Amino acid sequence: MTTPTNGQLSASFRDPSGFLFSRNGILYRQVNRAYAEDYARLMDSGLYEKLVKANLLIPHVETDQAPAETAASPQEEAAFKVIQPECVSFISYPYEWSFSQLKDAALATLSIHKRALKLGMSLKDASAYNIQFVRGRAMLIDTLSFEIYKEGEPWTAYRQFCQHFLAPLALMSYRDVRLSQLLRVYIDGVPLDLASELLPFKTKMNFGLLTHVHIHAGTQKRYSDKAVELRKGVMSLQAMIGLIESLESTVKKLTWTPADTEWGAYYDATNYSDSAFDHKKHLVREWAAEKKPKLVWDLGGNTGVFSREAALSGAFTVSFDIDPAAVEQNYQVVKKNKEQNLLPLVLDLTNPSPAIGWDHAERDSFGQRGPADMALALAVIHHLAISNNVPLPQLARFFAARAKWLVIEFVPKSDSQVKRLLSSRRDIFPTYTREGFEAAFLQQFNIHKAESVRDSERVLYLMETR
Amino acid sequence: MHFSPLPYLDPGSGSLIIQIVVAALLGIGVAVRASWGSIKKLFGIKPKADDDNTDDDTN
Repeated sequence: MTTPTNGQLSASFRDPSGFLFSRNGILYRQVNRAYAEDYARLMDSGLYEKLVKANLLIPHVETDQAPAETAASPQEEAAFKVIQPECVSFISYPYEWSFSQLKDAALATLSIHKRALKLGMSLKDASAYNIQFVRGRAMLIDTLSFEIYKEGEPWTAYRQFCQHFLAPLALMSYRDVRLSQLLRVYIDGVPLDLASELLPFKTKMNFGLLTHVHIHAGTQKRYSDKAVELRKGVMSLQAMIGLIESLESTVKKLTWTPADTEWGAYYDATNYSDSAFDHKKHLVREWAAEKKPKLVWDLGGNTGVFSREAALSGAFTVSFDIDPAAVEQNYQVVKKNKEQNLLPLVLDLTNPSPAIGWDHAERDSFGQRGPADMALALAVIHHLAISNNVPLPQLARFFAARAKWLVIEFVPKSDSQVKRLLSSRRDIFPTYTREGFEAAFLQQFNIHKAESVRDSERVLYLMETR
Repeated sequence: MHFSPLPYLDPGSGSLIIQIVVAALLGIGVAVRASWGSIKKLFGIKPKADDDNTDDDTN
């Protein structure tokens, strides 16, 4: 994330309660004086401790760091405290999450708001971008999202919750899981009138979706240019709890089960023998253990089998795949085994997440969030070079920009998977040979190891960027 | 509007209205449930444990 001179993060400008800034490579959050009372309540009421214990809020420590320097404004006076939150290994965005990741983020948000209400506070925003996956759990990372609850007031974040979570989840569940990509276009969540239009008629029989999406969209339209004067105490605590529980049960009832997608059953349909598979796993594990990367990106990680081999080295491993079904399965394994250093994400390598938002600087592109220490590109090169026609030298440059170390598998034309890709098209790839591949990658990398994968025609390489 | 202080994000007029109407309706349910608990207590039926401890595993 690009930063102005004081190190303030470019995505951190909306809330006057404070902002994030980086100094000497460490991320701090400045708490402004205007937020002092709310911050004190968060810490003193026991809410902070309770949420941290439940793995719902990122832990932080208070520091004696000087506030961020802003010469022109009275920021120095505005500052109340500087806190240092636990570092998040990899920032991901809702359009990169599988169905259950978005659902868990939604449920975490509601659970946090409910717990806050019990201790006299309320969650003042329900942005999906405030949730990150930390140690395998959906966690709120914005410590300044709480405010003192005043009974009688409605939930200011209701609209945001419906747009960021409920609408996309309903669309993914009732229409098509790929509609999560609408979040990439609409940074403040899916517009409810659009969701209402796209959802099938039967969702109007579901009380939660009828009220929170369909009727909600209608009233938004009716009152779009009118200011409303509400009388004081218009919404009791009981009504608030009723609302939250309704949202909670509506979200819980939304489900999505991966059907037979292109890759859903990939490992059952590979041309690998067990021994080739095991050999590959062994090599990935061995090379990761040898190079000790802190951050590994598995590019084309499918359900995360090889990501897990790399993660054994202790590295935080992000397992990217284009198939939402594979990512969903991967996430279910993370949850089941309570894995803390693996993050599955949906990503199309041929069209990776761009930088979006105000001034192209609110959400980082895929590339800006790197480089990693090691990248894995296993059984993926033929998809990029042949299905997507990317010339080998460009592929080499792409991978060289991602990580210092690259573990890459070359899949030759004689391989049945490549034959399948070429069966319905002209072979315009004369350089797609082992020699052509090595020549292209030697421009960017030094090849440290090249091992033929047992019982196959494939070769696994360990390379280091030049 | 009677937010104090005013929120830094616009909650949206339409979103406030629908939320208040729906919440009022749902609040009745919560109230009935709450008093149902105390009625049950009168007959010596133990109330369920605070859901604080049960919803720990939301994700």
